[in-house]
Amino acid sequence: MPNDVVDVCIVGSGAGGAPLALELGKAGFKVVVLEKGAWYRQDEFVHDEILNSRRNFFMPLPWDEPHLWRLGPDQPFTRSNEAWTANCVGGGTVHMSGYFYRLKPVDFRQKTELGAPKGSNVVDWPISYADLAPYYDKAEIELGVSGNAVPHPFLEPRKGNYPLPPLTEHPVAGEIDKAAKSLGWHAIPTARGIISREYRGRGACVYCTLCGSYGCEHGAKSSTLASLIPAAVNTGNVEIRPKCMAVEITVDAKGDAKSVVYLDKDGVRPEQEARVIVSSCTAVESARLLLNSKSSRFPAGLANNNGLVGKNLLFSSFGQSKATFSSKKFEWLESPMPFVNRSVQDFYTMPDERFGFRKGGTLGFMWQHPNPIFAAMGLAGKGERGVFGKALKDKLRAYRDSRILEFEIYGEFLSNDGTSVAVEPSVKDKFGIPVAAITVKRHPMDFAMTKFLVERGEEVLSQLQPDRIDRVGVQGETTILQGGTCRFGKDPATSVLDPDCRAHAVKNLYVVDGSFMPTSGGVPVTLTIAANSFRVADKMIARLKKGV
Amino acid sequence: MIDDFSRRIFVRRLTFLGGGTVLLGNACKRDEKPDAGAAPVLPEVLTTSHRSFTNAEWLTLCAAVDRMIPRDEDPGALDANVPEFIDRMLQTPELPQIKTNFAPGLAALDRRAHRMFNKGFHEATPAQQDELLAIFKDSPEKSGEARWYEMLTVMTLEGFLGDPNYGGNKGEAGWKLVGFNLVGRNVKGDPKAPYDGSQTLHQLHCGGGKGC
Repeated sequence: MPNDVVDVCIVGSGAGGAPLALELGKAGFKVVVLEKGAWYRQDEFVHDEILNSRRNFFMPLPWDEPHLWRLGPDQPFTRSNEAWTANCVGGGTVHMSGYFYRLKPVDFRQKTELGAPKGSNVVDWPISYADLAPYYDKAEIELGVSGNAVPHPFLEPRKGNYPLPPLTEHPVAGEIDKAAKSLGWHAIPTARGIISREYRGRGACVYCTLCGSYGCEHGAKSSTLASLIPAAVNTGNVEIRPKCMAVEITVDAKGDAKSVVYLDKDGVRPEQEARVIVSSCTAVESARLLLNSKSSRFPAGLANNNGLVGKNLLFSSFGQSKATFSSKKFEWLESPMPFVNRSVQDFYTMPDERFGFRKGGTLGFMWQHPNPIFAAMGLAGKGERGVFGKALKDKLRAYRDSRILEFEIYGEFLSNDGTSVAVEPSVKDKFGIPVAAITVKRHPMDFAMTKFLVERGEEVLSQLQPDRIDRVGVQGETTILQGGTCRFGKDPATSVLDPDCRAHAVKNLYVVDGSFMPTSGGVPVTLTIAANSFRVADKMIARLKKGV
Repeated sequence: MIDDFSRRIFVRRLTFLGGGTVLLGNACKRDEKPDAGAAPVLPEVLTTSHRSFTNAEWLTLCAAVDRMIPRDEDPGALDANVPEFIDRMLQTPELPQIKTNFAPGLAALDRRAHRMFNKGFHEATPAQQDELLAIFKDSPEKSGEARWYEMLTVMTLEGFLGDPNYGGNKGEAGWKLVGFNLVGRNVKGDPKAPYDGSQTLHQLHCGGGKGC
């Protein structure tokens, strides 16, 4: 059941898909966006932890749509919901916390400046920071970013300050400033994809505290759902089709991308033809879509003639510690303000190999999320260290009478041959589509780096004189931050996409989620994905206008 | 490297998102039944007050959640209507495996009580009940007993600390205990705004398409 041919069909409406849809619509091109999830209204965002964080409002259930997950090729797969982001119009930007950092110039030249560690696949990017900088400016304006770009030794070049003033901070931010300074480091304000004032018809943040994991009922969080999608629809050229799950991208006799076959909410299987087809449904799911799009021209999956689709998967290295304060300990603890908004980037790069790594990352400080079931599950524990009864109740009361400040690491995740996405034909999701099978083998340098950063974060926390500091761990990965499965580059032999994020092997196929990234960067990458999509939009529009 | 996979942390990720992932997913994706077989025949009586459990299972459930979060100077799980929450939650169509696995776990707990103390779980002393629950809690990680205990913990804490519209957390007893008093738990900051989480969960399950 074919639809009318459109100019561009985009799979996914998050940080990658939405900027492109907006720019194409403004330029007069007809666009269809296929989004597998629902199109929620603002008033459907309710502060219900069970709905938002513990069921399938945002994330699929692992028995409906599993990701197969294993730590190393010698391990068995387990069915998991790892590495999903929100399935809804707006994608992961709807339930994100909105830590909106830019990459730094070194991230684009990591191999040249810091070298490629043995066993890693680190390469330079085919573009520079200067190529992306104007699009960072644009993304910050279009999405709405609040922050204060104070001068500091690690500040990436930027033209001016953020479009919106910083959100009001909790007074602990000042305490962290003093602590970092006493250690000879720099606590710098964290920019947020949350608007501090009314902006383009959207309501300002009301400091409700239930931010990450939740949709914002005020439109204050700068999701593409609240910002770019309405603007794209207003162009009159962009149609969003929610609850439409892409099954495969077909090709014509010449090997050009022809259409997207998808399943709509009624189980009908229509086909959307387009002059250009764009995949932007996360690095894991875009790889899955291409690998499931087999044809005689591309028997190993679309644009996978060099076998690199799904390879060099990236997440963000994760480590964390928590500082617990009895709530009466300091006067500044009594403020209810939710935002700490402080980062430390003194260890983003290291001058030499002394500590076992050159590329580090960012420490972000925040209050522990207030979700009570989440907190109680952590306090109850499991196995022989688990507690119930009075012991559990005492812990719940102690939690009530304390405040927990934490930091988390956004560290470099070294790409390597052991970390990749494939599809597993024998395991299908509820739609009958083979699922993504993710194998993660961490480079040992990641752990050395994360441990070093966690130790530095604990030094900052110690300066604040908490009652205790608990290390959560130094060997994690943040799987909602993902990239790398279709890395871009100049050489068709070693990359999937060209520098414009167009497939080397399929001239009308683009991928604009995090898949293009050859290295992970030491910050959350949401803003970078959006900025890159604005950059790609300019390239694509120039080509479409020339008819190629 | 000193560290190896066996020491890796599995709490990955969630502060970035905020408040943790679908913990329930880990608890209910397995389908092994604890201690299946050799079950004494239970009276299959369903009453109007509880739709997911027989009377015998209901008694065991109430006694178990009472030990998980007992009443002391603060309200406990029974005060917060946690059994009612679990009964209603198991009626939602999206949790078929929980529904399949949860009741047999109650029966297994009761059988163990009969074996060890010659009486039903709900008739045992609090100390005996704690001993039985600890056996399940401390069972090998992948055993049915340990998984069922994890499910009991999840369902009890959801019922104690979840939104009251699901039937638990009566009088916000759980929220008061942990000091969760954030304004605006509902739409636009209005705590009285009408809201039905169970209906929303149902729509998620059916997908909102034809036949919903």
